[in-house]
Amino acid sequence: MDFDKDYYRALEISHTATAEEIKRAYRALARRFHPDASDEPNAAERFRKIQAAYEILGDQRQRGAYDRKRREMGLLPTEDAALAWELTVSRQTLPCIKEEQVLYLMVDIRPAAAMGASRLPLNLCLVVDRSTSMQHGRRMDQVKAAAHQIIDDLREGDAFSVVTFHDTAEVVVPAHLGGDKIQAKAKVSAIRPRGGTEIYQGLMTGMQELNRRRRLKAVNHMILLTDGQTYGDEQDCIALADDARRQGVGISAFGIGEDWNDKLLDTIATRSGGVSAYIDTAARVRRLLRRRVRGLSKTHVQDLKLTLRFHESARLDEAFKLSPYIQRVDTSASDRLSLGALEADRPLSVLLQILVGSQPPGRQRILQLETGGDTSIGGEQGQRLVQELWFHCVENLTSESEVPANLVSALGKLAIFKMQENAYDALDIGDTNKACQKLEVMATNLLARGELELANAARLEAGRLARTGSLSPTGRKKIKYGTRSLMINDTGGLR
Amino acid sequence: MIECPSCGRQHRPGTLFCSECGVYLPTGGPLRTEPLPEEELPASRANPWATGAGEAEAAEKTAMLRVIMGESGRQVQLPVVSEIYLGRLDAAHGIFPDLDLTADGGLEGGVSRRHAKIHQKGNRFFIEDVGSANGTFLNGQRLTPYLPHPLQQGDEVQLGKLELSVEFD
Repeated sequence: MDFDKDYYRALEISHTATAEEIKRAYRALARRFHPDASDEPNAAERFRKIQAAYEILGDQRQRGAYDRKRREMGLLPTEDAALAWELTVSRQTLPCIKEEQVLYLMVDIRPAAAMGASRLPLNLCLVVDRSTSMQHGRRMDQVKAAAHQIIDDLREGDAFSVVTFHDTAEVVVPAHLGGDKIQAKAKVSAIRPRGGTEIYQGLMTGMQELNRRRRLKAVNHMILLTDGQTYGDEQDCIALADDARRQGVGISAFGIGEDWNDKLLDTIATRSGGVSAYIDTAARVRRLLRRRVRGLSKTHVQDLKLTLRFHESARLDEAFKLSPYIQRVDTSASDRLSLGALEADRPLSVLLQILVGSQPPGRQRILQLETGGDTSIGGEQGQRLVQELWFHCVENLTSESEVPANLVSALGKLAIFKMQENAYDALDIGDTNKACQKLEVMATNLLARGELELANAARLEAGRLARTGSLSPTGRKKIKYGTRSLMINDTGGLR
Repeated sequence: MIECPSCGRQHRPGTLFCSECGVYLPTGGPLRTEPLPEEELPASRANPWATGAGEAEAAEKTAMLRVIMGESGRQVQLPVVSEIYLGRLDAAHGIFPDLDLTADGGLEGGVSRRHAKIHQKGNRFFIEDVGSANGTFLNGQRLTPYLPHPLQQGDEVQLGKLELSVEFD
């Protein structure tokens, strides 16, 4: 790799070109300058340069290394260096038909450059349920150990606070900047379980602590840990989550054991832009919490936006985030989707289901995509990527091109996720038969994919549902959180 | 509108997975194993107890299994680590059999995507039909699904209409 050479110029492309564009440019140039076929002067010399350029730029990893070095040398502009993306469509050529057709678009967004030492400071608040049930199975001990771990991992400039709640809330460790770690840990150790569970109290006090240290250029985040149902304050909790998002505070909600309200915690997390998780045994508390805090400290973009500008007769049907787990994206703001945080070493994948109406033959523009958000290393302006999507529309589509394997794999898992959604929706309106049938179909599909454990759980719960009319609390959570995590072990969908 | 070949539900053109039954629509039809007419398959059923399925277990060691395809003559050597699945590859549904019989005429021969499995217990090999559409036959006798049946050196195995012979050492 020769950093003094401009490989992009050799291929006559911009440094923002996608992998697809690079390949296309290389093929065209290689044909033109192939020494055996070309009459161009210096064809052999040009051909060699084109080859050399493609060897680097055609390889994702080598290209990254080349870009980084060139950027350091000031030879590549930095203003659009923070984000990169890859777009995958289910078909490049559309048949001209009257009825609406479905087009799938997968968008993988990742930080373009290594973040290096730059890291947004954290402003974290741990909101811990200390109702009596937390004594069960050493839950509280594990939570305390996890809190100690977080305190140990804090860096200069990070703010941290701990709030506990039962029927009232209290501040155990007030928000402080890099204060006395030993003292903070001692206070956490002294927490004793008592009373019932009122989540809203905890969230509200948590917000107050976060607000004391809230900064624009920081990751302001609340982590809620609970093992119980809350009674009567669900609506207040959801309103607070909406409010938190407006103030730039995300809430991650962790439910321990079987008795907590998965719907409420998922809603709090989704509305605020955080994540939710199911912790089946107390022993996993530490690992999950630590992973969450690490993820937060690697935040590259706080709230990534994806803007869709459709041309005539095309529209968005559904949108799903595929990482860190499958999640419906709120499409009520029609063209502007909020995707939440983008972590430095984890690409964010979104799958869009688009409906395309009747198109005239020829090359047609379907939509313009734009993504952006404030990055940790970018300037005030943040960073944008824009791309226009064109499609060939033909009267008689004779041969169907192959659908990219990663898209097929992701859609297959999404289909199972939707079945689970349908089953639980049916259950909510009391349609036990439909829910049962959906669970059975799910089990078959899971089995066909080798997801034996999950398939088994679905089959078991379908049987229980038919006999008793309800799911077991454990089964309900196992299936829900297992299904949405189908994408995690899949290297095809998330790379 | 396009129709799901498996459950008949209507979908917009371009849809890839059936929301009702989860079938991959572009290939949903041919990927399914079509039942073969009865007269094309052997009739009698095998008795799993006849050849000593209940024998005492000997020390297990990893053995090599050789499968020879009747039609193409292709030979495949497989180590019997735990279980060997025989069937047809279907990446869209994440079905990856250890031995993919697509290239040996598996689809035309009525081989299911998950057809049969072979495993070792003690020093014996067992074959088991895993609920295939067209059945597994051992020396011309149909095996009861999900019931392991002992394999002998040089046994003729038939998956649907596809013939194989099995050797091991």
